[in-house]
Amino acid sequence: MLRTLIAAGLAAAAFAGGPAAAADQGVTDTEILLGSVIPLTGPPALLGVAHTTGVKVAIAEANAAGGVNGRKIRLIMDDDGYIGARTIQATRKLIDVDKVFAIPGQSGSGQVLAAMPVLDKSGIPTIASVGPVKGMYEPPHKNIFAVGSSYEEGIRVLVRFLAEKNPGKTWGLITQDDDYGVAVRDGFDDVVKEKKLNVVYSASYKRGQQDFSSEMARLKDAGVEVFLAGGIISENVAMVKELEKLAIKPVVGIFWPGRVEAVLKLMGPASDGIYAVDYVEPFASPAGQAFLEKAKGLVSEAEFKSINRYTMAGYAGARVLIAAMTRCGRDLTWACTNREIEATKDLETGVMAPMSFGPNVRFTNSKLQVMQADFATLSYKPVK
Amino acid sequence: MRFLAEILLSGLAIGAIYGIIAIGFAVIYKTTGLVNFAQGEIAMIVAYIAWTISTTLSGNVFVVTGGALVAAVLLGLVIERVVMRPMLGEPVFSTVMVTIALAVILRSSINFIWDAYPQALNLGVGRDIVRVGAVGMRTGQIAVIVMLLALLAGFWLFFRYSRYGIAMRAVAGDDRTALLMGISTGRVHAVAWAASAAISGIAGIFFAITYDVSPAMYEIGLKSFPATILGGLDAVIGSGFGGLLIGVAENLAGGYLGSGTKEIAGFAMIIVILMVRPFGLFGQRDIERV
Repeated sequence: MLRTLIAAGLAAAAFAGGPAAAADQGVTDTEILLGSVIPLTGPPALLGVAHTTGVKVAIAEANAAGGVNGRKIRLIMDDDGYIGARTIQATRKLIDVDKVFAIPGQSGSGQVLAAMPVLDKSGIPTIASVGPVKGMYEPPHKNIFAVGSSYEEGIRVLVRFLAEKNPGKTWGLITQDDDYGVAVRDGFDDVVKEKKLNVVYSASYKRGQQDFSSEMARLKDAGVEVFLAGGIISENVAMVKELEKLAIKPVVGIFWPGRVEAVLKLMGPASDGIYAVDYVEPFASPAGQAFLEKAKGLVSEAEFKSINRYTMAGYAGARVLIAAMTRCGRDLTWACTNREIEATKDLETGVMAPMSFGPNVRFTNSKLQVMQADFATLSYKPVK
Repeated sequence: MRFLAEILLSGLAIGAIYGIIAIGFAVIYKTTGLVNFAQGEIAMIVAYIAWTISTTLSGNVFVVTGGALVAAVLLGLVIERVVMRPMLGEPVFSTVMVTIALAVILRSSINFIWDAYPQALNLGVGRDIVRVGAVGMRTGQIAVIVMLLALLAGFWLFFRYSRYGIAMRAVAGDDRTALLMGISTGRVHAVAWAASAAISGIAGIFFAITYDVSPAMYEIGLKSFPATILGGLDAVIGSGFGGLLIGVAENLAGGYLGSGTKEIAGFAMIIVILMVRPFGLFGQRDIERV
């Protein structure tokens, strides 16, 4: 009798949510556990919180439709504060202690690169959709998939566009003194050579700098007519406000890490007409409006308020992962999921161009579009 | 000439913010012998409080600054009573570590209480641009320079003529003797923390008006520290002038030598000055009987 009871109890436990027979860690009969390492505190939380909201939208959407082959998805997050050492530690914890099944969104570019050996060794399916850089996908890693476009290519598209629109003008550039700044500078230099641009001012600043008065005074003195502001958020705001103070109005281009609508309000009227480039849709577009409408019903009010361009990037990355897990059926394993992500072909998410991967292709290299700020509506509008 | 004027005026404006925070450093050091590494964080918290008042209660400049400064005084008193007073008599290293821990906690609290977005502190003043010839300055930048000069004059009078100012100098000179003379050192410490928080809060509000409030704002504390070293850690008025010197030196370096030199200009300056005057430009030589 006792044996029968024990056997019945074990069987019930197995069916009630124990590990699924033919699945890897983080998967039970009723649930799939996913985990993200992302900056949730400090200035980079601006991107981390928004990105997580995007992942949550995709998960809520999938769960509302019945989950992944009957299993509901649950997400846990770990804060790395945008510090590589903490990214490594938190990634280890997610894999070894929390035993998550997959990572639908990993921190910034430098942080993912720092955690690459851990991710690579484990084989856990990982989507990197915050800031894709070459080291993530070249050489290709079996289980790491980058969503977006490269910084270098983004800058090339923007600078080519501005060069064609402003022939014969003088150029200025300011970049951050880190890997992001190097990527921006590399992309810029490519087009400078290609189009033989006349660069009259070039400088870099230390991350965290808030006063750009001397830099902008030099830029004015050099007679810059087209200016690529290579800051992120506060830096670009400070630069544009300083230009306004100095009463000069060069054509200004900014890059997608700083293409956040709230920034336009901070810059004030001086933000009107600023050019930007991005691979996710601007919220002012019909696709952007449709995404906001969808998100409204799926996340809390506070999460909805956090939405910016990183939300779309997070959403797109999570959609890739969920679609691959769905195609794996009930026998959900890392091997199958990695295989199915690789097989992703023209996946439509509505927030960016259709995404594809392939054998040894671990980067969506998404199509870019140039857009322009409209201060009156505090939005970016696609440039035809 | 225009270029030089632009560089100098901008340098004076950012230097005035450094100078005010440096005064906050010096007020605490002068009375307690401590370097408070949370000075920039206190400025940031007060600026966030000002922004909260402006967006929830009233955008009136007097209501916002008054409310924020009351909050700053309370914050200073709470820090002194809850965090610093239990550390009295403990090794200086431990006490300084406590201020570093406090800085990290205050820094991280921004995301818990507010969020990571930069926000504009719009009080209807300070953002207009005044032009004299080809040189422009925001009214907030002019006001912060005037505020620094007013604080310097106020502190000079306070330390020279007020009973409390003299009591603070006495505690700074020798707290045990001051205690024997009937001065409540505990109360002097509390007032120093409250005053220092309010002073840093003033700098935080001016910074937020000119730039914005953001979770990275605490870094002005790091930029202000060289100012107080340059002026003299125990020299309240010297620290204020130190801020102006650092601001102008940074901008001159950034303007004439390149932006890479801007970040190191202040520190290069203190290395040179400290070689000649190890106690800072206006600091007092520490003499000990051996």
